[in-house]
Amino acid sequence: MIEILFGEVCNLYGDSQNEVYLKQTLPAAEFIDTAITDEPYFVNNTPQMILLGGMSEHTQRRVIEKLLPLKSRIEELIASGTVFLCTGNAGEIFTKHISYVTENIETDALGIFDLTVKTDWFKRYNGKVLGTADGVTVTAFRSSFSFIYGDNSDCYFLKAERGCGINPDTKLEGMRKNNLICTSLLGPLLPLNPLFTEYLIKLAGFDAPAAFRDAAMDAYEQRLKEFRDPKTVF
Amino acid sequence: MSKLRFYMAMTAAKLSAVALRLLGRNATYLPGLIALKNCKDFIGFLQKPETLICVTGTNGKTTTSNLLNTVLTHNGYKVTNNSFGSNVQAGVAAALLLNSTFTGKHKNKVAVLEVDERSSLLVYKYITPDYLICNNIMRDSLKRNAHTEFISYVINTAVPAQTKVFLNADDLNCADLMPQCKNRTYFGVEAERPEELPKGQIRDVCYCPVCGGRFAPDYLRFNHIGRWHCTKCDNKSPDRDYCVTAIDRVNHTFTVTAENGEHTFRLINDNIVNVYNFCGAISLLRAFGLTWEQISSAFDAGKLVQTRYDTLDAGNFKVTMILTKGQNPIATSRVMNYVSTCEGDNKCVLFLVDDVEDNINNSESTCWLYDCDYTPMADEKIGRLIFAGPRCKDHYLRALMTGIPKEKIVLHETTADAASLVDTDTYHDIFILYDNYRLDEAVAMKKQFAARGEVKA
Ligand SMILES: [Zn+2]
Repeated sequence: MIEILFGEVCNLYGDSQNEVYLKQTLPAAEFIDTAITDEPYFVNNTPQMILLGGMSEHTQRRVIEKLLPLKSRIEELIASGTVFLCTGNAGEIFTKHISYVTENIETDALGIFDLTVKTDWFKRYNGKVLGTADGVTVTAFRSSFSFIYGDNSDCYFLKAERGCGINPDTKLEGMRKNNLICTSLLGPLLPLNPLFTEYLIKLAGFDAPAAFRDAAMDAYEQRLKEFRDPKTVF
Repeated sequence: MSKLRFYMAMTAAKLSAVALRLLGRNATYLPGLIALKNCKDFIGFLQKPETLICVTGTNGKTTTSNLLNTVLTHNGYKVTNNSFGSNVQAGVAAALLLNSTFTGKHKNKVAVLEVDERSSLLVYKYITPDYLICNNIMRDSLKRNAHTEFISYVINTAVPAQTKVFLNADDLNCADLMPQCKNRTYFGVEAERPEELPKGQIRDVCYCPVCGGRFAPDYLRFNHIGRWHCTKCDNKSPDRDYCVTAIDRVNHTFTVTAENGEHTFRLINDNIVNVYNFCGAISLLRAFGLTWEQISSAFDAGKLVQTRYDTLDAGNFKVTMILTKGQNPIATSRVMNYVSTCEGDNKCVLFLVDDVEDNINNSESTCWLYDCDYTPMADEKIGRLIFAGPRCKDHYLRALMTGIPKEKIVLHETTADAASLVDTDTYHDIFILYDNYRLDEAVAMKKQFAARGEVKA
């Protein structure tokens, strides 16, 4: 079972198509969509994978409020190797604390990672990342109001060859604990990266070629070439 | 001291406008930029016109501004507007200063200014609109506009309470805007109420902002546009003060009903998103003081500029060109949907939708493609889809993910010669969807098609 957490509100910037691409890659797998007003499937079951996409800041606080009481269950799932893919600002809910500078709101988050977040609506960051995660080269985009601060050197997701990490002073992007993967890279991460899709589903116990593999690889390889071009601005 | 700065800025800006004219170029936003560089609160020193109308919202700003401008001009008003240039702070400054005397006295009675949502804080700090219309608040460029809550925050923070606002009642993001403004008029469209909910489209309205309960749609036209009610409290889409109650697609008319009567207008463009734009503009013009007849005579006069839509009848085939805003997923989805509803049993669609500048020494962010709804392109009456330009492979993958058969798709990495890929013997209804950045190429293509038509005629 693959659980899409709060997909109707956590789908900014193309995230919903991560789910579609997974369904097309794994046509036999079962999926469950959990609404934010419902109890997550993972509370009483153990899904193979959980997807959580990018969201507005207001929704982020609502998601934290929803998941905080479930923290120990989430820790159990992480320990037992459930795959989580959290894109955009979704991974931030696993840090310790988020400061919403513009709205003047301070929120304690789940605290899985000893890191903090600063979100400023008047500082938009747009960028790209070319990096390697566990030997798989990933190309993706990032657009955010926030950066994550602290030391993620023992829990990063990927090392950026180009582009920045959790903040502009580091090349270490995202966080990872066991199979909990948190990355600021945006939603269509999976169709943009067929090789990473295959890697991710393997972590969850599936084995299949990425959907529309030839077309996805063509687009991926073109992007890889563009991202590696020294003239390309990051 | 600051007044001196203003005069220096005014001098520099006016001189730049003269220089641009001598060079044979239109004064766009450059004079405004120069003025603001020299005096950052420049707009605050200018005298306002007697009536200031501002237009904002994600989609439909330019159409609505042009419409307001045309109807007012048709009725004898001289109107200041920024339709020639830009809708950011510098564009607003340019429009105002070019219609002001050197001392800052405004020459025209009315101004219609299109204001980019993100520029709200920089514009409304200095000028208070008498009327402000907002057509919708939707997902837009993720790089610039992020998400709808951010845009709503900016508008809510910026607009003064005394402004009379005109809001789309069928867009809950829009209807809830600017709670500080108590003089509110709602518009919407009841005609052609859809029976089925659209599938697979993103919705930027899901939960009630009052109680957090789930919103249930009464019906939806596209994305979150439609009528809603909360399943937990009594919050719902507001009643419309001006409502399109009938659309006659045979006789090309639409009827607007309001408390003070109803009137039938000529339907100058049959795309439903424009019917919303028309209704919004009409509601504002009525509040401004024009009669139904005064407004309707401008629709009848056929002077309304359709900058975003152009057609060519080449005899043996027809070409329709539609401006399609890249990086804007809902606007692009609406254009795709519109094409699928247009006449033709074997249509050919040519996509020139990429950001030219973003692909120079760069690799354009393609995330927005994944918020687009390509479903209308799967329609069997669309026989050929040509994706041209540097991002054609990304469009191709999205098309496959939508279930569009690969046999009907052609990819081409350059755009300039893409018209040659269209077989006008087979396809008689050709649609060119082009981004702003591809305007010159689209115009050139129209000429190429015209030449081919003449040869065959
Ligand atoms: Zn409610």
